[in-house]
Amino acid sequence: MSNAVPNHESLKAHYLKVAQDAAKTLSQQQAIEHLLPLKLPTLRDESWRYTPLAPILGQAFHAVQREEDLLTVDDVQQARATPLESPCLVFLNGFYQADLSVLPADGSVLVDAHSHTVMPTAVFQQSFFAGLNAASADTILVRLKAQTTSAQPLEILHFTYSFESNFIAQPRLHLLVEEGAQAMVIEQHLSLADTLCFTNQVLQIEVGKGAQLTHPRLQNESLRARHLSHVSVHLAEDSRYQSTNIALGSTWSRVEWQVAFKGEHAYADLNGFYLSGANQSHDMQLSVLHRVPNCSSSEQFKGILHANGRAIFDGNIVVAQDAQKTDAQLNNANLVLSRDAEVYTKPRLEIYADDVKCSHGTTVGQLDPEALFYLRARGIPKQDAITMVASGFAGSMLETCGFEPLQARVMQMLTQQLTEAAASI
Amino acid sequence: MLSIKNLHASINGKEILKGLNLEIEVGKVHAIMGPNGSGKSTLSKVLAGREEYEVTSGSVTYKGQDLLAMSPEERAQQGIFMAFQYPVELPGVNNTYFMQTSLNAVRKARGEPELNSLNFMKLMRAKLKTLNMDESLLKRSVNAGFSGGEMKRNEILQMSLLEPYLAILDETDSGLDIDALRIVADGVNNLRSPERSMLVITHYQRLLDYIQPDYVHVLSGGKIIRSGDKSLALELEKHGYGWIKEGAEAA
Ligand SMILES: Nc1ncnc2c1ncn2[C@@H]1O[C@H](COP(=O)(O)OP(=O)(O)O)[C@@H](O)[C@H]1O
Ligand SMILES: [Mg+2]
Repeated sequence: MSNAVPNHESLKAHYLKVAQDAAKTLSQQQAIEHLLPLKLPTLRDESWRYTPLAPILGQAFHAVQREEDLLTVDDVQQARATPLESPCLVFLNGFYQADLSVLPADGSVLVDAHSHTVMPTAVFQQSFFAGLNAASADTILVRLKAQTTSAQPLEILHFTYSFESNFIAQPRLHLLVEEGAQAMVIEQHLSLADTLCFTNQVLQIEVGKGAQLTHPRLQNESLRARHLSHVSVHLAEDSRYQSTNIALGSTWSRVEWQVAFKGEHAYADLNGFYLSGANQSHDMQLSVLHRVPNCSSSEQFKGILHANGRAIFDGNIVVAQDAQKTDAQLNNANLVLSRDAEVYTKPRLEIYADDVKCSHGTTVGQLDPEALFYLRARGIPKQDAITMVASGFAGSMLETCGFEPLQARVMQMLTQQLTEAAASI
Repeated sequence: MLSIKNLHASINGKEILKGLNLEIEVGKVHAIMGPNGSGKSTLSKVLAGREEYEVTSGSVTYKGQDLLAMSPEERAQQGIFMAFQYPVELPGVNNTYFMQTSLNAVRKARGEPELNSLNFMKLMRAKLKTLNMDESLLKRSVNAGFSGGEMKRNEILQMSLLEPYLAILDETDSGLDIDALRIVADGVNNLRSPERSMLVITHYQRLLDYIQPDYVHVLSGGKIIRSGDKSLALELEKHGYGWIKEGAEAA
C-alpha cells in the first residue's frame, strides 16, 4: 500500500494534512487557504515539461520533527567552507539550530527565529511546493544590518539527516540585506547520510538600497536526495547581487529563481554550474524581471553532463515597457561527455522596451578532439586530459563564486567526479 | 632513433602520405621542406599519434619499438615531442598547471619522482631564463588568446621542459619575427646533444640559418622526393620547389 505511486488527489491531500498539522501562526493559516486551489506540477505545465516528476511525486514524503541532539559541533565544523570563527547559521531538516549557530559579536547579523513579519507572498504564487513551504515552515528572518560591511562571510549550512526516511525538509529563510550593507552569504546544502529525502526550500532575498550581496550556493546533497528550491531576489535602487549556484549532488534538483528589479541602477549577476551524472537530473529555472529602467543583469550558466545525466535550463528575461536602457546578457553552455546524457536548454528574452541591449545564446558541445590530442601529445593520459578540459570549461564559472576556499573545494569534488566519469569514456 | 618505411596515411579516405621513407639517426637534425599541402603536418601528426589519420601501410619504428602501436601519451612519455603548427587553445586550463601535469606525467612514466609546485617553478624559471622569456604566459590559460608568436614560444618552452629524445617542429618558425625566431632556434640548439634527434619542418630556408641541419629532405605529393645536406635548402630557396619537382619527374 505505501509503495503504490500516489495519484495527484491523494498526494495533495497528504500534503495539505502535513501543512495543517504544522501550521500554527496566522500567516501559516492564510498560506493554507492560498494552497488549497493550487495543483501539483504535471508534464503539461510548460516549465515542467522536461523535468522528471516521479522523483518528487512518486511517493508521499512525510513531515519530520525537529531533532535536537542529532547534529554535533563536529558535523558542522567538518562541513564548513568558512573559518570556524566566522558567523554561521545551521539548519537541520529545515529547522534552525540556534545552539550550533554562531553570530557575529558586533551585531551586524540578527536572526529572528520567530519572525512575525510576513514574507511577501507575491512570489511563487502558482507553485504548490512554495505554498506548502509557506504553510508548514517557520520563517527564519536574517537581517544584515544597514551600513555594515562584514569582514567575514556568513555561512548558512543546511543539513538533511534523520533516522527516518522519505521525509520532507522545508527550510524557509527571509534574508534582508539592509540599506548600504555589504556582505557575502555562503549557502551549502549537505546530507549527512544517504537518506531518501526531499528538500523543499524557499529563500527570499531583499537587497536594500545601495546594498551588495555576494551569494555562492552549493547543493551537494546525497545521490538519493531530491532538492527543490525557490529563490526570490528583489533588488532596490543602486544595489548589487551576485550569485553562483552550483549543483553537484542529489538525484533530482531544481532551482527556481525569480529576480525582480525594484529600483534603478541595480545589477544582478547570476551564475550557475551543474554537473549531472548517472541517474541525476538538474533543472535551472530562471525568471528575471526588468521592471524599471537603467538596470543590468548577466545570467551565465554552464553544465557538464555525463552517463545518463539530464539537465534542463530555462532562462527567461522580461524587459518591461518602462525598463529602458536595460542591459541583459543570458547564456547557457553545456558540455556533453556521453551519448546517453540529455540536455534541454531554452533561453528566452521578452522585450517590451525599445532602447535596450539584450542578448541570449546557448551551446551544447562535446569534448574537442584537438584539445584532447594536444594534452595527450604532452604525455597526459586520456582520462586526465578529459578531466582537465572539462574542469577548464567549469573553471570560469566557479571563479565567479567569489570565495576561494569554496571554489577550491568544489573544484576538487568536480575533478574527482570527472575523473570517475572519464574512466568510462 | 626513428625509421619510417613506406608510410601510407590517409584522412577521411583521402591518401596524403604515399610511401614515405625516412631514417633519422640518433644525434642528428633533419629538416623537411616542402610546398603547402604536401603532407608535412600530416607526417608530424601521424608521428605524434593523432588517431584521425589512418595508416594504411608501412611501418614506423622508434628506438626499436613499433611506434604506431603506441598511444599519443605513451609516445610523449617515451620522449617524442611535436611542436604544433597550430597549437590548441584550452580555455580555463592554467598554463603552469598544464606544464606541471605534463612534465610529471612524463617523469612518472620514466620512473622519476614527480616535482612539487615549488621545485617545478624553480625548473621553470631556469628554463625561462635560458630561453630569454618572461613569466607572462604562465598565469594565462593554455594558448587562450595568445598571439601566433606567443603560441610558438609556449611550444618551445614545453619542449625545453620535457627534454625529448625526438623533437618534431612543425613550421614553428612560420609568421615569427626575428626575436621570436631566435627563441625557437635557441630552444632547439640548447637541446641538441648526441642522444637527441630533431625533425625540423619548415617552409623557409631562414630557420636553417639558425638551426644547422645535418640533412635536408624535400617532401612533395606525400613522398620524400629529394634528400641532401644543407646546401639543398639554399638551392631550394634560389630555384623554388618547381625545380625539384621537375628534376624528380625527369629522374
Ligand atoms: N582533416 C582533413 N580532411 C581532409 N583533408 C585534409 C585534412 N587535413 C589535411 N588535409 C589535406 O591533406 C593535405 C596535406 O595537408 P598537410 O599535411 O597539412 O600539409 P602541409 O603541412 O604540408 O601544408 C592537404 O591537401 C590538406 O588539404
Ligand atoms: Mg602544415
